[in-house]
Amino acid sequence: MKRKIKTLLLFLLIVFAGKAQEQLSISLFTDRDVYISGETLLLKVDVPATEKSGIVSIDLINQTGKKITGILKEIVNHEADGYIYLPDSLTSGCYLLRTSVKTSNIQTIKALYISNRFNGLPLTNSGLQPAGITPVKEVQNIGLQVKGIQNHYKTREKVHTDLQIPADLLENIDGNLLVNVSEIIPEFKTPEFTLNSNRQKSTLVDHEGIILEGTVTELRTAKPFKNALVYLSIPDSLPGFQYYITSDDGRFYFQIKNYYGKIPVVIQCYSRGQEQLLKIALTDQDSLKHLMPMFEQQSFPPDLRKKVERNADALTYRKVFNQQEITVQPSPVIRRDIYPFYGIPTNVVDPQLFIDLPNFTEISRELLPGVKFRAFNRIPTLQVLNSAQFNYFTDPPLVLFDGIPTRDLNFIKEMGSKDIDKIEICQNERFFGDLSFQGILAIYSTKADYSRIPATDNLIKLNLDVLQPQAVLNDLPSQEVNNPDLRQVLLWKPLLKPGQVIPIEFITSDIQGTFRMIVRGKTKDGSNFYKEQIFEVN
Amino acid sequence: MINRILITSIAAVLGLLFSLSLKAQDKLPANWNTEKIRGTRLIPYPSVNGSPYLTGKFLPGEIEFMDGEKIGEINLRYSSYRDEIIYYNTTISTQIVIDKMSLKGFSFKDEDGTLRIFRKQYYNGFMSGNRYFEVLSDGDIALLVYRKVGLETCSPYNDESGKLKNLEYQPNYSYYLYSSDKGYSFVRISKSGLLSKFDKADQILVKKIFRKNHLSVADEVSFIKAWNLIRESRIKVNF
Repeated sequence: MKRKIKTLLLFLLIVFAGKAQEQLSISLFTDRDVYISGETLLLKVDVPATEKSGIVSIDLINQTGKKITGILKEIVNHEADGYIYLPDSLTSGCYLLRTSVKTSNIQTIKALYISNRFNGLPLTNSGLQPAGITPVKEVQNIGLQVKGIQNHYKTREKVHTDLQIPADLLENIDGNLLVNVSEIIPEFKTPEFTLNSNRQKSTLVDHEGIILEGTVTELRTAKPFKNALVYLSIPDSLPGFQYYITSDDGRFYFQIKNYYGKIPVVIQCYSRGQEQLLKIALTDQDSLKHLMPMFEQQSFPPDLRKKVERNADALTYRKVFNQQEITVQPSPVIRRDIYPFYGIPTNVVDPQLFIDLPNFTEISRELLPGVKFRAFNRIPTLQVLNSAQFNYFTDPPLVLFDGIPTRDLNFIKEMGSKDIDKIEICQNERFFGDLSFQGILAIYSTKADYSRIPATDNLIKLNLDVLQPQAVLNDLPSQEVNNPDLRQVLLWKPLLKPGQVIPIEFITSDIQGTFRMIVRGKTKDGSNFYKEQIFEVN
Repeated sequence: MINRILITSIAAVLGLLFSLSLKAQDKLPANWNTEKIRGTRLIPYPSVNGSPYLTGKFLPGEIEFMDGEKIGEINLRYSSYRDEIIYYNTTISTQIVIDKMSLKGFSFKDEDGTLRIFRKQYYNGFMSGNRYFEVLSDGDIALLVYRKVGLETCSPYNDESGKLKNLEYQPNYSYYLYSSDKGYSFVRISKSGLLSKFDKADQILVKKIFRKNHLSVADEVSFIKAWNLIRESRIKVNF
């Protein structure tokens, strides 16, 4: 009996130990360590196979922890690659590129040096660099070989190499390889490290889309409000719509999936039953302001200033002549819906096909069948006919303005024929989940300008950055001989399929200096490996 | 004594593990991020003899949306009269007709425990449009039935409230053989109806299968059985 118990205890100990070891961190790679403001940063993220989250967030933060810009990428096969436009307005200094997932407190951070395109490096010839950190160690793989690469190349020379992967490594590779050729400053290397944040780990896993969460409170008491109806709408030709009914804690959650780029989002809340003044607020996802590494002053290598100035000039030239570094791929076409969430309308009216009418009262009287709009005593009312029962619904219908639900009819009453593209009417009781609507009146404006809807305590308007679409590096030089080719990144292939021999080709640019070819990958046990080859272009 | 302490400590550790795993689950409603059912309120059908529904009551089933997402454990009832699927929303105590456009199909277990699978398909024959077909047998060539109930005139009768009526619901089921490349082929539920789908030479083989399995194709059940046996023997079907 005792032996059995001891064995069980030992087993539990092993389980705990195994769980502790599961905390693998994300690995982050950027095309360079030093950038000029206005350039595009290319990055690749490898996520541990155990990671449940489907989205990785990559933010550029300054030394105080303030987020400057950021992207969200979909994790496919435990990897993601993307790009970040570095704003032209950035002051010269050290910045941190931080990757995180909702389900983990471990953040992988890569330090970068960004020099302002117009001001260059500081006159002190020194800058702050993270200190007291434990850099992420990666092992150079000896077996991986880059065949045929030379130590010196001329400008605009075609380079042919073969990447040879030994069979044992090939079997053990998880996912794709990254191959990058870019200019480096050998004496200046920025570290990659991990930080354990005190952010409250979310129990919601963003498998398929971004999770927006927040709280509804009563405006007067600031207490969480139970039973509030929260709408999320995405204005579109077929508007997106979701709802959530809050419980005791007043919290609400929405998942936005299958959207790419930047989308307008409107979130609003109402009390159910008795009218109450409510306030809605989104939870700030960025709570890492106080978890920053220490920084210490470091002097720059002697060559850095010269190279940064040259690169700034090169960037200005590329911008003047509109030489784009990357081409953003069109977002995947996803047919989210085949008909509006409020159903197939009973009637669709285009007011512009009729005589010009000055306001909505006139439009409803003359053009809208089964719609009773009255604006007596400055309190407009609206009713829709129930076509099945041949009487008017007692409750007002769901009014949508460019797909956004609204209860304020005052801004609609002034809309004339010229302002309205089309009006859709549903003359039946519609159900969406557990919600019921006594008729629908959907107004689509000509300008699709939902700024008419005012942001109030119970309504938030956002321009939300959702999943970033894929991009490819424009690695072919300019075809015109007299046009300088000022590319610093000669090759960026973040999703290269592993094979025994992989031919790699690229053309050097007019930039002279030290270049690095790096091949990076991940093995099935979660560890990263790389192979780098340095060469000069002159 | 030591054993008792050890067992208590193991129980405590296991309890801790269990509570941690529970903590990981949010107090969110189970369907907070699932696709929502869309539809309209059910308008009662004419109250006459017969039943407009396939089943006598709402039965637990599953619906599948166009994007493949499924919602299970909901109360469903198929209206043969209107070819629509009705679900009972327990939260708002309402019978809702689910938008046909939003569904790929649905299934439920009938009173006998038999799984009934319905698939939405476009019918290009007379009265074309999307219809819910019950899948009796699936494969390259599927055996489908359109369980239509019509409102037919009949001999006058007095209903429960004493009103004189001359209408009643009459089943008018249509059976089809369907393949994605050849479309629909109407089939009668009879031995001759089934044999007509085969060449003269193959009909002998089909008849042999009937004899061997002591089958007399007279109703829907025996027809399905016969069809499945023929399908297994891979005899070429003409349609």
